[in-house]
Amino acid sequence: MVHHPRLPGIPAQVGGHEERSRHQPAQAPRFPEGGTGLWRRRGGPRRRLRGRARRVRAGRVCGQKGGRQQRQRARDDPARRRQRRPAHPRATRRPGAARPAAQACRTDGLAGAAPERSVRPQPQPRRHQGSLGQGQGRHRPGRRLSNPTFSHFESIRIWETGDPTRRQVDGWLGRTLATSYDSNGHPLTGCACGATDAPGALRDLQATLTVIQNQKTFGFTGGTEVEAAVGALYKATPGIYGALFDTAIATATETMATLRTSASTYHPMADYTDQVKLVYSSKNQLAAALQLAAELIVTGTGVKLLHVTLGGFDTHYTELNRHDDLMGYLDSAVSAFYKDLAAHNMADKVLIATWSEFGRRPKENASGGTDHGAAAPLLLIGDPVNGGLYGAEPSLTSLDNTGNLKYSVDFRSVYQEILSGHLGADAPKILGSSFDRIPFLKAPVVV
Amino acid sequence: MAPRAISRGITRRQALAAALATGVGVGAIRLIGGSMQQLATSRSATASGWISPLSSESARVMHLLRRTTLGYTPSQLEAALADGFNKTVDRLLESKPAEPPAFATADAPGGRFAIAQLQQWWLDHMLSTATPFAERMTLFWHGHFTTDYRKAANNTFVYWQNLTWRRMAMTDLRSMLLQVTTDPAMLRYLDLATSTGQNPNENYSRELMELFTMGAGNYTEDDVRESAKALAGWQLPPPDSVGTGNNNQRLPVYSSQKAGVFNPRRAYRGSVTYLGKTGPLDAEGVIDRILAQPSTATLIAGKVARQFVHGRPSDDYVARLGDAFRRSKYDVKALMHAVFTSPEFTADKSYRGLVKSPTEFMVGAARALGASSLSKVIASSGSGMGQSLFDPPDVNGWPNNESWISSNTVVARVNFVTAALGQVMGTLPPAEEAIHGQIDGVLSQQTASLLTGAADDRGRWFITLASPEFQLK
Repeated sequence: MVHHPRLPGIPAQVGGHEERSRHQPAQAPRFPEGGTGLWRRRGGPRRRLRGRARRVRAGRVCGQKGGRQQRQRARDDPARRRQRRPAHPRATRRPGAARPAAQACRTDGLAGAAPERSVRPQPQPRRHQGSLGQGQGRHRPGRRLSNPTFSHFESIRIWETGDPTRRQVDGWLGRTLATSYDSNGHPLTGCACGATDAPGALRDLQATLTVIQNQKTFGFTGGTEVEAAVGALYKATPGIYGALFDTAIATATETMATLRTSASTYHPMADYTDQVKLVYSSKNQLAAALQLAAELIVTGTGVKLLHVTLGGFDTHYTELNRHDDLMGYLDSAVSAFYKDLAAHNMADKVLIATWSEFGRRPKENASGGTDHGAAAPLLLIGDPVNGGLYGAEPSLTSLDNTGNLKYSVDFRSVYQEILSGHLGADAPKILGSSFDRIPFLKAPVVV
Repeated sequence: MAPRAISRGITRRQALAAALATGVGVGAIRLIGGSMQQLATSRSATASGWISPLSSESARVMHLLRRTTLGYTPSQLEAALADGFNKTVDRLLESKPAEPPAFATADAPGGRFAIAQLQQWWLDHMLSTATPFAERMTLFWHGHFTTDYRKAANNTFVYWQNLTWRRMAMTDLRSMLLQVTTDPAMLRYLDLATSTGQNPNENYSRELMELFTMGAGNYTEDDVRESAKALAGWQLPPPDSVGTGNNNQRLPVYSSQKAGVFNPRRAYRGSVTYLGKTGPLDAEGVIDRILAQPSTATLIAGKVARQFVHGRPSDDYVARLGDAFRRSKYDVKALMHAVFTSPEFTADKSYRGLVKSPTEFMVGAARALGASSLSKVIASSGSGMGQSLFDPPDVNGWPNNESWISSNTVVARVNFVTAALGQVMGTLPPAEEAIHGQIDGVLSQQTASLLTGAADDRGRWFITLASPEFQLK
């Protein structure tokens, strides 16, 4: 349990539920006992709480808002039960979230707070929203830098490798595939859907990875005869690369056979539509990619890690409409995906996580958009997730010295929880070290 | 639903481990004369490998050409066979690089033209140049002194960089490093253009030492900081004029190639302590200090050995090449001469010991077919195989050998062969020539049986170009 001091705007508990406690014990210290140590000491002697005051701070007193009884009731309360279901856009949309006309302003009504006036639109409030931060830019051992990088491609590499020092070249999911999943028997353990080349997060020399842009066109041009000929051609090749050719062609032909089988047995139970008018970028095929992902999951191909992409969020100009449209599209695609999985009884096994290389600046620029920023929210969706806001509510008034949002959660903590809590993998081995635990998952599920 | 279990021989991990050992496979066959006759297998201890033909001079010439040119036509092969191995080496090293034709839209404002056009321009040149070794070396330096067109943000700079890399490809390392440091695309890519004496940026100084010259572990963090100070002050060249872009932005227009300029007002004033010596230092001084370290020659020699000789060269061999490089005052020609005349280059162990990179494979296939208009197909197929020109995955460049083989890349390579054969209209050159000229007639059982079973010449070309034999060099 991560403790936070009683600063305004910070929920008392992390996870569990969203209600903020307004209880202010007398003489509360300004920093937590234990906890993440992210908060700076404000001055004054450190005060230790004793007895009931201490338990109140820890949220363990009956009758206290946020106490155990409260959480228990929240779980059983039918009015609250709606919120415990996985994300459905209409459940979280606030009817009163109309934007004032002149300003590009959207309320973040997640915790029932008064809408903050902002000069940039915030993402559509979603259930299971976490607040996370940018990795720390170029971080060399022995010296701590806090300058995040605002370069797309350096930042993407940091998120993909999970290594701000840029020493790693393999993707964190690629390392997971190579170390934790024996690909013997399942050619489709890791799959990038809707992509043309291997995404960096899944890249690892030793990982068996398949990239399927479109299940209908994946294969040899020339059909099954070519497939048979090439399969024979590459089998039992001599020389030091012979074995590699062998496994490569075996994986390819088995993937094609698997896709043919799953295409015949899969019937989508939701409406995936890519016919969405986006203000920006017509190349997005997220719904099609998610439909392929659903097909691979529900037909039992043994897939463990899937990767899809939605582009267009680099909104340096006219952000409001573009962002709205993109989030709406994301909404509809992910909802269809979830609905499909639920109809096939697979929803409890699938965790959906989003990532993006950076956030945006709070202050808008001269073109009605925003430039590259630091902290950004990361969305975690699905039945395995314990809903709520994790990390600090982003403050638009307390910014860092470059005018960017301050982050409160290291992105590698999220990776760690996904790896150890959902995938059952060895997180410290894959990520290189341990990070603060963010318990956003329910009881560990070994998939 | 429980996943279906499919039994398969070995995993990718095991296959990679097997590459370290002697390899798993059946014996190969060798063609004698013009007909495909099967010899008795298990002739020697290397029965699980390819039967190396490198004892014959003509096979050695073909081996050399495969590794130094991006593929060859039958007539080029004949000329080289007539010259013999040594004379071919001299000819390759001494020919002056043929300049490509000027790129048409190099003066677009802000360099905003599609990178695919530039890729096709370079591929057209690769397919028709008279000095393909210069292109091979340009590709090598492109993968060593890496730049990504996305971050360079001006494709005109990327075009200039290609011209510079070609001109400097076979000169000495000192002048190369100077040109690399002042190259506008590189100034942008590794942030040297925004580095000032007040606020030095360490990106270029770190990669210069870690990736381009000495290698990690041969310098300290202080050296990185100090050389960042010494290198600060270089900036992009001023444009010749200003043009307008899409949103009425003002974009720079360059009418001729320029290098970066040094601005003394932005430089660092004072002395730095770098690699053991203290004093005022500029970019040339930094490079001289780097070249005084022994590890520079070793790193570059190692990289050359891994790309031209064998995936895992012995330390002793690399040390020898490094010494030769250093003794020749870092002359790249001398290094390459040492590589090609070394016994390891034509040893049986090196036969088919490397995997062709996607560009080499595709350009080689096009040249073997005699088709010189395939640049568009090649440019669009590159990314599916893992190599898109001007777009390396990161500053390390492209990984090598084993990483070119995966399920997706194999499918992409075969599909490229289908597309290329589809584009070549009319009669193809005889496939028999290709089987002997391109893949030495040394085939595996499967390839040989498929070739005998092929219906027509087109089928034989397909098998030849798609075969694992043609993927290796």
